[in-house]
Amino acid sequence: MTRLNAVDIVLWGLRILVVVVVVAGTIGTVLKDRYTAAQWVDFVVFGLTIGAIYAQIALGYTMVYGVLRLINFAHGDIVMTGAFAGYFIAIPLDRSGYLQDNPVLGMSAILVVAVIVSTSIALLTERIAYRPFRRVTGLAPLICAIGVSFFLEQTFRGMFGSAVKSYPSPEWQRAAFDVFGFRIPRVDVLVIGLAIFFMAGLYLIVQRTRMGTAMRAVAEDGEAAALMGIDVNKVVVFTFILGGAMAGIAGVFYAFVYKQVYFFMGFTPGVKAFGAAVLGGIGSIPGAMLGGIFLGMVESVGPTLFLDGLGIPAPYQLRDLIAFTLLIMVLIFRPQGLLGEKMAKKRA
Amino acid sequence: MVAAAVITLASGGAIQAAQTLGPVTDPIGVLRIPKGAPIQIGGMWVISGADTALGLDEKRGVEIAFKDVGGKVLGHPLKLDTEDDQCNAEGGQTAATKLASNPQIVVVLGPACSSVATPGAPILWQQGIVDICTACTAPKLTAPDRKPEYDGFARTVFSDSEQGKADATYATKALKVKTVVTIHDGSPYAQQLQQVMADNFTAMGGKVLSQEAVAPNDVDMHPLLTRIASEKPDLIYFPVFTAAAAQILRQAKETPGLEKTKLMGGGSLLSADFIEAAGPSVVGFVIGYPDISPEAMGKNYPKFVDEYKKAYGEAPISGYHANAYDGAMLAIKAIEKVAKADKDGNLYIGRKAFRDAVFSIKFEGISGPIACDQYGECSSFKPSALEFTSADPKTFGIGKNPKKIWP
Repeated sequence: MTRLNAVDIVLWGLRILVVVVVVAGTIGTVLKDRYTAAQWVDFVVFGLTIGAIYAQIALGYTMVYGVLRLINFAHGDIVMTGAFAGYFIAIPLDRSGYLQDNPVLGMSAILVVAVIVSTSIALLTERIAYRPFRRVTGLAPLICAIGVSFFLEQTFRGMFGSAVKSYPSPEWQRAAFDVFGFRIPRVDVLVIGLAIFFMAGLYLIVQRTRMGTAMRAVAEDGEAAALMGIDVNKVVVFTFILGGAMAGIAGVFYAFVYKQVYFFMGFTPGVKAFGAAVLGGIGSIPGAMLGGIFLGMVESVGPTLFLDGLGIPAPYQLRDLIAFTLLIMVLIFRPQGLLGEKMAKKRA
Repeated sequence: MVAAAVITLASGGAIQAAQTLGPVTDPIGVLRIPKGAPIQIGGMWVISGADTALGLDEKRGVEIAFKDVGGKVLGHPLKLDTEDDQCNAEGGQTAATKLASNPQIVVVLGPACSSVATPGAPILWQQGIVDICTACTAPKLTAPDRKPEYDGFARTVFSDSEQGKADATYATKALKVKTVVTIHDGSPYAQQLQQVMADNFTAMGGKVLSQEAVAPNDVDMHPLLTRIASEKPDLIYFPVFTAAAAQILRQAKETPGLEKTKLMGGGSLLSADFIEAAGPSVVGFVIGYPDISPEAMGKNYPKFVDEYKKAYGEAPISGYHANAYDGAMLAIKAIEKVAKADKDGNLYIGRKAFRDAVFSIKFEGISGPIACDQYGECSSFKPSALEFTSADPKTFGIGKNPKKIWP
């Protein structure tokens, strides 16, 4: 071992500080005993819900990064397009009473339209904006992705106005399940359940199908895969289809939980989901899921658990700070992310 | 040189030196408007994003004021140069810098948001430009301890120190609540308003359980509301802006433990956009607001509303149009008072003289009497509480939805 230098000491000091704050805050909160068990369950359920949505968005970042080494900055806005498309179906369905009477068919219709729109837009961005940059090294593709993000936001603002629109809230969504005496809102159960279902489906597609195998091969080494006869263009298109579909679903879920759509809504969850993808290890599909859930949980439970006990007022203003501090701490310990690939050295 | 520097210091932040142009001498500069050229008046409001209605409504109030004086003052046409300030500090800095860089600007009307005026007014005053704010209500802007760089700032809208007191009065006297939790979003408006309300509420014998905060673009309020539910407050007071307020309102109704808690918002939510964003949960929601019912307003207010409807094809879309109208009138009266023409018909306006005129003119405005005190507070305040009655944004109309329920 080499001798400790100043940077190491600072980093270790930082780690110890964070651990002390977390432990002291947690003990303080537990001792205060201010919250009932039902309220703790609520915190966890809210965290799982937003975490499941982050996870779905993070999948899009991580798959595109795996295949193209591109940070698709516009992915958050693809989520927005899905939410908007769903909105224009959800409103007439809600007004006519159809969504209330036929929850399953109504939700399916909304999801299908959202997925078609978000997937189409994802494919168009790939074809028009990203493919010409495929062979360009450096920051040009990233800057192009940022441009696409602005383009989508401003286009939707131009077409549908800048006001915040409210999503319908049918009766059956507002009810709650009783689980062991804890009341869990139905919409959260729906979002968490369906998110797990769709993510499991995606995992199976990537692991078990021919196309998924080709995807993993391209992610491993694009040129070698091309030499083996894999059509890289097809794989990239397939990746964008999967990412776009997940984004559309996530957009509808997000809008059904938080009830608002507007042109800039994709930015914040996009950034958070990107953080989640990095946390889980960018390029890793299970990592993106884990990262999303982790981030959602920390955001929901963290401020109360860590800061309440320390007597810090208005802890929810510090929610992003806590989430991203923990993210940085994880990355200091494991630079490759929670489930990051070990081959980073070989590829870099 | 030394004398100029002394005058500069004495004039409180404005950097320009004494100047003589035509018939006018002024300690901080003189503006010359050539014969026939327009009198340029700057405007900065939020005219994009979620709070568009707030700013657009004020811009329209100013446009109607210009129309009412025939579009001309002293033979020069009036020209409004509007910048979008986006209702945030960065946008305010940009908008104010852009306006300040135009030496022909006489005065700036607006903004709608205190977060814009806070950085914006000093930038303008550095160039000797007076800012007459039309809706920024943060108490500090006209507080007796304000800094000299705000000497050029006046407003034809009330201070939230009045609004906060009125909201506390409504909570204790009309709602008869004993405990409150406040939520702000870090903006000067919300932060200061909730503080004034909390202080007054405590003074009136109530108890403030906690003062929470969110970010303006937060969407997940569930954890925060669950936390608040553990304190069992009688009232949650959240004078924040459209998007965050709609989320709090919607999610509070779904949070166990808050079923009986009363909710109250602020004047930033008086718009059809807020009804649209909040959906069905808006019905029964109460906001504190200055009383702008026709009986409380100046006698010319109904005529103004008719003009507004004729010009824009809809009733006023937010609540500060009358303040903006009066702000524009104040500016016009001040120009009329201090501007001097030379033989050739060029117009000269002394900047310091203009500032002093704004601070000394008194008249009966459509929002009530206008008379500035020495700190630039020109409006008087009458409290009220408004309740939303329908979730359909098309029914928005001040007096109907939301309707006045107090006093």
